[in-house]
Amino acid sequence: MTDINEIKKEAARILKEKVVSQVVGFKDGSLPMRAQPAFFSSVTEIKQLTLNGFCVNNQAALLKQFKPDEKIGVICRGCESRAIRALVIEHQLNRENLYLIGVPCEGILDWRTISRAVPYDITAAREESDRLIIQHSDGEAVLQRSEYLHRACLQCKHPNPVGADIVIGELIDEAVIPYVDELAGRTADERYEFFSEEAERCIRCYACREACPMCYCEECFVDHITPRWCESMVSKGGTHAWHIIRAFHQTGRCVSCGACERACPMEIKMEYITDKLNEDMRLDYGFEVGEDETAQPPFATFQLDDKKRFIN
Amino acid sequence: MSWKPRLFLFQCQYCLASSDDQDWVENFLPKNIKLIKTACSGRISPLYILNAVQSGADGVLVSGCLPEKCHFKSGNLGSRRQLDEFARQLEYLGLDKGRIKFAWMNIDERGKIQKEIALFEQEINEIGPQRKFNVLQNTEKAGARS
Repeated sequence: MTDINEIKKEAARILKEKVVSQVVGFKDGSLPMRAQPAFFSSVTEIKQLTLNGFCVNNQAALLKQFKPDEKIGVICRGCESRAIRALVIEHQLNRENLYLIGVPCEGILDWRTISRAVPYDITAAREESDRLIIQHSDGEAVLQRSEYLHRACLQCKHPNPVGADIVIGELIDEAVIPYVDELAGRTADERYEFFSEEAERCIRCYACREACPMCYCEECFVDHITPRWCESMVSKGGTHAWHIIRAFHQTGRCVSCGACERACPMEIKMEYITDKLNEDMRLDYGFEVGEDETAQPPFATFQLDDKKRFIN
Repeated sequence: MSWKPRLFLFQCQYCLASSDDQDWVENFLPKNIKLIKTACSGRISPLYILNAVQSGADGVLVSGCLPEKCHFKSGNLGSRRQLDEFARQLEYLGLDKGRIKFAWMNIDERGKIQKEIALFEQEINEIGPQRKFNVLQNTEKAGARS
């Protein structure tokens, strides 16, 4: 695990030397097991900086709110750095105005699973290498950290940051993790049953959209009023359309960080769709998000010798 | 009464070169087929297809020009990647295989659209009615864990 003091030192240095005007990072939240994104603009605030398994947000989603010419330092993990690279390719961010402090990531913890595993009120939690020490109203519990990782982080292919200005901490061995189809071996009826069970719990709060670094449209298709593209109610048609089209817009762009699932108050599984679409893109066009510094996403381009499926 | 499939035909307005064919599509299409004429097959958003499926279509047929024959040079090439993947996504989420079909019309071929529609209707007849994504059928699950 990366030493937090090293990160603090580097963040303080770039603020002091005026390399950047703000540093985007995390600080402890008001509840145990929660951390909140924070913006540090002076060296004295840096002591609040933290980075642990409870930092669930994808910081790349916050960067678009800054002025385009403002210099920003970002403490980014693997998925965040890939999202930043994809956003730079899509001309949403200016790479020259970003200073990326890369940190190899050991996975984000799923605080919901932990709070279910500990049947008491949790008052504090901390990580010690591969153990998780939970203090609760009835004493202390020690959990194995690797068992409580978020689903997206268990399948993470690239925990190391890409294209960072400085990398703090030791790089992790990137084992080749094959794609796991969550719906493999199910018939069409069972797949539909699974999908509708998940999608129809949706309350249309759009927390997934706000948490997603790649959802940056100023006007989303669900907010469009004339013409109304899909039902905006909590109904079968509306929730289905939202989950299908949201995933489809992420084809070849989703960085599989799992921020949408962690943000969802109804704990709806969403990543199995985008993972499938990304896998299709990889097989058909050999495209993987964040792999290349200049490659356009597959739907932004085309070739004459694409698959000939349409022609009959 | 026997069941007749409800079909949607998304047609690129340039793909039928013969005015007889275009006239047939516009005026003499069977009543169970709904025609949506678009400027180009590149104009067809995946949302259109989803809306057709949700509003009770048993099958969706998209017709466009052949690659390299597009009126707008490259509209059909962009749509080929997107719509192909979208059809695969719907199949992954449980829509039956073959409900979304693409027919690429060559400008030389007259009378192809009639054959394509007849063939597609026959195929959909074998698959049967589409009930999965159809929003006209009620569900009690909306908005809550059932």
